[in-house]
Amino acid sequence: MSNKFYTIPLFLTIFSIIIIGISMQLDTSPEMIVGDSMQARSFPIFLMVLNLILISVLTFQYKKNKQDLIKLEKFPTWGSMGLFLIFYLLTVYTDMFIGIFVVMLLMGLLWGEKRIWVSFLTATLTPLFIFLLFDFVLKIRFPRGILMNMYYG
Amino acid sequence: MFEQAIMAMASVATDPYLLFLIFATTVLGVIIGVLPGLGATTGAALLLPFTLTMDPVHAIAVLATIYVSATFAGSITAILINTPGTSAAAATTFDGYPLAQKGEAGRALGVAVISSTVGGVFSVIILCFAAPLLARVAYEFRSPEYFALTVFGLSMLASISAGGAVKNLIGGIFGVWLSTIGAERVTGIERFMFGNYELYEGLHFVPIFIGLFAISELLVQSKTVNKIVNTVSMKAVKLPTKEDYKRIWKTILRSCGIGTFIGVLPAEGATVASMIGYSEARRWSKNKEEFGKGSVEGIAGAEAANNAATGGAMVPTMVLGIPGSGTTAIILVGLMVHGLRPGVYLFTEQVEKVYQIFGSMFFANIMFMLMGLYAAKFFARVSLVPTAILWPIVFGLSVIGAYAFQGQLLDVWLALIFGVIGFFARRHGFSVAPIAVGLILGEMVETNLQHSLKMFDGAWWMIFAQPLALMFLIFAFLGLCGPYLYSLIIKRK
Repeated sequence: MSNKFYTIPLFLTIFSIIIIGISMQLDTSPEMIVGDSMQARSFPIFLMVLNLILISVLTFQYKKNKQDLIKLEKFPTWGSMGLFLIFYLLTVYTDMFIGIFVVMLLMGLLWGEKRIWVSFLTATLTPLFIFLLFDFVLKIRFPRGILMNMYYG
Repeated sequence: MFEQAIMAMASVATDPYLLFLIFATTVLGVIIGVLPGLGATTGAALLLPFTLTMDPVHAIAVLATIYVSATFAGSITAILINTPGTSAAAATTFDGYPLAQKGEAGRALGVAVISSTVGGVFSVIILCFAAPLLARVAYEFRSPEYFALTVFGLSMLASISAGGAVKNLIGGIFGVWLSTIGAERVTGIERFMFGNYELYEGLHFVPIFIGLFAISELLVQSKTVNKIVNTVSMKAVKLPTKEDYKRIWKTILRSCGIGTFIGVLPAEGATVASMIGYSEARRWSKNKEEFGKGSVEGIAGAEAANNAATGGAMVPTMVLGIPGSGTTAIILVGLMVHGLRPGVYLFTEQVEKVYQIFGSMFFANIMFMLMGLYAAKFFARVSLVPTAILWPIVFGLSVIGAYAFQGQLLDVWLALIFGVIGFFARRHGFSVAPIAVGLILGEMVETNLQHSLKMFDGAWWMIFAQPLALMFLIFAFLGLCGPYLYSLIIKRK
């Protein structure tokens, strides 16, 4: 059995221990407020202890049953996650709708759409339609950026 | 009760705007259902932000219509291209596609449409009668009973179809932990906020659900880029013949019962129902050899059961606030967002609205039947929309939907983060539905445990002394350990 199979239980164990550690640092409230009930820290600690028990069962299951190696994802998957990062940067530094347009355009091309004009139209018309629907019908205001400053004035 | 149900049906039938909404949402639901990967749960998650400004009944009717119509529509692609549009239609491929390959796609679709409609209508009728009765029982519940009930609901996560029992429970606990983020309700102590005061009131369900269901599905679908699908030709959808009806009516009735019962169980859903409906149809059939080669009983068994589960799953959702599936978890969030508090009060103080929602589900079943019979061929074509066009649109809808809910960019980042978390969870065999259900039930578990402890002066064992609470806890124990105990007994024998 490869060590890789322990990665998930190990990751989950570390996560649970960190949460227990953080929970221990939480403030405690006076007896008169809590009474016979629980402190705020008790419930998350209880959950993570329960999690650790389940993780030990999971580790046993992994050991008992031979697992197939999980194949690494293709480029479009990692590329799509990278586009989320680009979306974040564009939204923070330019405008959310510029971010949506760029990501939709690049995602279409990344996923194998060879007709650039189709991706361009999808990336332009979809956000425009959703914007009009939300702005005129649902009366929702979007975060200010280059485009929204021009629109809202 | 009967009179109220009839009056509510009449009020739905005479509300043109509501009927238009049901019609439009049925079209949308069928389109969502036929698009592989974009099932009822993802569709409802994407649509939830659009319902924010609607009247509560209209909003929930929209979500419920998406649920029933997308569950049915999964069968269209299951039969025509051997790809279930939703996981609930997986069992339909076993016989639907082989029958379509024999040149009888129209007959297969006809059987699926009629079985789904009967299943859906049957479950709505049961819903109308069972939900108020259960609400009367739930009227007696206090904190210990609610605590035990939510523990039972969480224990049922172990048997959700995808993922193993242990993985589902770990997912459920992660979801419950997510519900502890923010200020603790009794003491106001901040938990896991890391100085971010936008999280003071906790994580909101909508962006998390959009991330877990829509964005994670987008990343999963990115692995299937350029997949080639084989379609079978279809001339027209035919209604089942008299002979077909003779063969399938018992199967449909049986599956209606199975589906409704499975749907009522917390955390069980249409997928489990269709699998059991299919296997029971095979077990009781006189023509077992036809199964897997194009049996109409196989299609009817799976389809009646999965649509019957939709009404069943609404029972615990609306009466107890415990979702029966991923989609009902979103409907539950919809109820909360629109100020409809699930539980006993919904049935005592807003009973008219409840029956209007049930009435909408009834009309949604009728509308998808008409669409299935007259426009299945068109809808099947929709499934051929290239993924490179469809999923960027889902991305746009997801981020704007996540933002629109509270007008906070933090929600957009949360949706993206939980999309990536959901993707990696699914990559390693963890289902995302337990995380969603855990997140919803988390607050209920903690709050009711706190109240119970206060009620019994810290004597936690007194929870076991309450008969109803004890019953739910025994059910929870059996749900968790029953299968293992049973296999141990069988081994010893």
